[in-house]
Amino acid sequence: MSRLAGMLAVMAIVAVMVFVLTRAASGDPVSVLLGDQASAEDIARVQRQYGLDKPLVLQFGYWVKELVQGNLGQSIFLQRPVTQALWERAEPTTLLALMAVLIATCIGVPCGIVSAVFRGRAVDQFFTGLAMLGASIPSFWLGLVLMQLFAVSLGWLPVSGYGDPDASLIERLRHLVLPAGVLGMLNSALIIRFTRAAMLDVLDEDYVRTARAKGLGEWPVVLKHALRNALVPIVTVVGLTVALMIGGAVVTETVFGLPGVGNLVVSAVLRRDYPVIQGALLIVAMIYVVINFLVDLLYLWVDPRVKL
Amino acid sequence: MSHISFSRRQVLAWSALAGGLSAMPLASQAQGAKTALNLAMVGEPQTLDPMASSADLVATIMQHVYEPLYTFDAKWNVVPLLAEALPTISKDGLHYTIAIRKGVQLHSGRELDSADVVASLKRWMDVSPRGKAVAKEVADITPKGTHAIEIVLRNAYAPLLPQLALPSGMAAVMARESIATPLKDFVGTGPFRFKERRPDQYVLLTRFEHYAPRKEAANGYGGAREAAVEELRFIPVPNANTRVEGALAGQFHYADLLPIESLPRLEKSGGKVVPVMTPSFGFPYLVFNTKEGVMSALPLRRAVQAALGEGEMLAAGFGDTRFFVPEGNHFPKGTPFYSDAGVADYNERNPGKARTLAAQGGYKGEPIRVLTSRQYDFHYNMSLIMAEQLKRAGFKVDLNVVDWATLVQRRNDPKLWDIYVTHSGLLPEPMLSPPQLGDGAPGWWSTPAKQAALSAFNQETVPAKRATLWAKVQKVVFDEVPYIHVGTFNSLSARAPSVQGYVASTWPFFWNVKIK
Repeated sequence: MSRLAGMLAVMAIVAVMVFVLTRAASGDPVSVLLGDQASAEDIARVQRQYGLDKPLVLQFGYWVKELVQGNLGQSIFLQRPVTQALWERAEPTTLLALMAVLIATCIGVPCGIVSAVFRGRAVDQFFTGLAMLGASIPSFWLGLVLMQLFAVSLGWLPVSGYGDPDASLIERLRHLVLPAGVLGMLNSALIIRFTRAAMLDVLDEDYVRTARAKGLGEWPVVLKHALRNALVPIVTVVGLTVALMIGGAVVTETVFGLPGVGNLVVSAVLRRDYPVIQGALLIVAMIYVVINFLVDLLYLWVDPRVKL
Repeated sequence: MSHISFSRRQVLAWSALAGGLSAMPLASQAQGAKTALNLAMVGEPQTLDPMASSADLVATIMQHVYEPLYTFDAKWNVVPLLAEALPTISKDGLHYTIAIRKGVQLHSGRELDSADVVASLKRWMDVSPRGKAVAKEVADITPKGTHAIEIVLRNAYAPLLPQLALPSGMAAVMARESIATPLKDFVGTGPFRFKERRPDQYVLLTRFEHYAPRKEAANGYGGAREAAVEELRFIPVPNANTRVEGALAGQFHYADLLPIESLPRLEKSGGKVVPVMTPSFGFPYLVFNTKEGVMSALPLRRAVQAALGEGEMLAAGFGDTRFFVPEGNHFPKGTPFYSDAGVADYNERNPGKARTLAAQGGYKGEPIRVLTSRQYDFHYNMSLIMAEQLKRAGFKVDLNVVDWATLVQRRNDPKLWDIYVTHSGLLPEPMLSPPQLGDGAPGWWSTPAKQAALSAFNQETVPAKRATLWAKVQKVVFDEVPYIHVGTFNSLSARAPSVQGYVASTWPFFWNVKIK
């Protein structure tokens, strides 16, 4: 119960911050919507229509009232409910995040383990360097490079978008390979570092030495005895990576023209579509909170000694 | 021997995940191969209501669905589209009788009649920013039988036909029963009909089988139109580099508005794409706050005009000399409104003269607040050069770089800025842009000389005489400096080699376009 109350408190703080930050930025959605030719009267009329002429406190009160009833509001530009706009973009973002986490984990965990096992050797230096590189490369740059290589030069994968209107699921997944590759590769850096550190901690433990003394081979020792005990920090960082993907997807989705939640947020910020910005940020924050909670639950499964 | 086993919990978890994914909205399923054009556009349209916004992107898409009474041919002459012919105008210039073509089908399957046209034009005058400007001049619009209408004006108003013909903020003719605000059903008469919009993914138009084309040969936006492909897919690709890569990879049949720096790559693509240059696409301009602040003094505006070297600004903004023309004339040579009146004051780049004028105007070192944006790279690059040129002439410059949404809000407040940087498409009628030629636009230019010149220009309906009167308006703009026309620029797009029949134009259109 206290955990649920904590989550609600976090969401309430996020709601206030999201509203304040959105409105603190200058700019007006109606001026952008109506274009250059709009008169001051037109702008004022549409502002009234959306309640943007009301004092901020009233606007906030109205938004919270709607929120409590499960209504995130109506998009000024898309002329549809924010929940519908988010739902329509849920598929590419969810699949992108899952694919990217899978790629990041498949790269990060084995590299981290190998790096720890061969501590100080050339292979360790190589993977550590790789992790540094991954942490430093901007995603938009890597995106454009991979795009040029795999889409333009080799023609193996599509450049952008999410497939034709009649595209199959397989075709849509093909469109996700490059962006998921970019996100996965960059985020694997963090997993490499954490896995390496966690493995180094346990590889020096007594029970690992005991396992070796029993005559077990090196890899069974590493995978069955050491890795199992290093899983808690690894699960934590993978969970964090899922949350990071949702934030990281903003840039990647823009570069690859994916119609996901990240792209929606960028467009909404540029045109000051307040209800969409507020709704999307609130949902993303909620996902963070839920993922953190799920990671806590996973600890119980990974390590039965843990008590929540 | 090892074996793989799943616990009941694991099976349930995977089932839930698979179920969740399949419940998510999926794109429409395949109907078999179609001839479809994939068109990479600069973003998501603000709306699909062609009247509600004057944004070019909205016009580009919806001109395939809706048609106006008139349009422009390749030489920017007004020609009939849904109208049978050019209107019959009474001698006093107040009564316009417009016959409507017979046999034109609406997308709903009904024949278009005068009641649809009257209802549409009334909505246009009520909803569209351009229509509202026209509404001030219109006394009444009435049907004359089933296939003609009459527009009665309060005063002679020459820009009426160009206003009715412009694709942006379009005087679109729609089925009267579909009219609503906001518009929910898009029922027009165009060669393509609206099928589906998925925001940030695509706008889908399909061929309208019962389209009634004009008999004349295609000419600019005028003449016969044919939906030569089954489907048009307008895909928002906001990242310009992604549009370039998509064009090079053959993913798009057409990629709109590409960075000029990408031209060498397009040219060296080995025939994968064909670069398309649209000449005289638009013009950047600097708007002065004539109402408040340091630039409200005419001598100081003239001093700034003398200080600027527009050629350098354009070079900074557009780089490649094939893509800009440093010219003070507001309309290019060969078009009806070309004039060199006042252009001696263009591109002077004379800091000495600017200092003298500033001193005469009582300049005391107040900072000039320049409002600019990085939304368009050329705005920002031109602003940097402009700031340096002004500093060289002894002005203090405060460059306020904001995002576009902030700029369009702040420019409405005369207390916040002295100059703002913007641009416009080059439109065939002077009164259509920039808005500073009208009343009340940011900058708030309103002087007796402006009213006199524009009043004479707007009331003259004979095209040849209007050209002479435009020269006088242009001269007043150079004399009073409400805005500075920086020059003209061309745009770069690209098409696939398989795309045949595409004609470069300000609002790209894809009727009469085939895939080889």
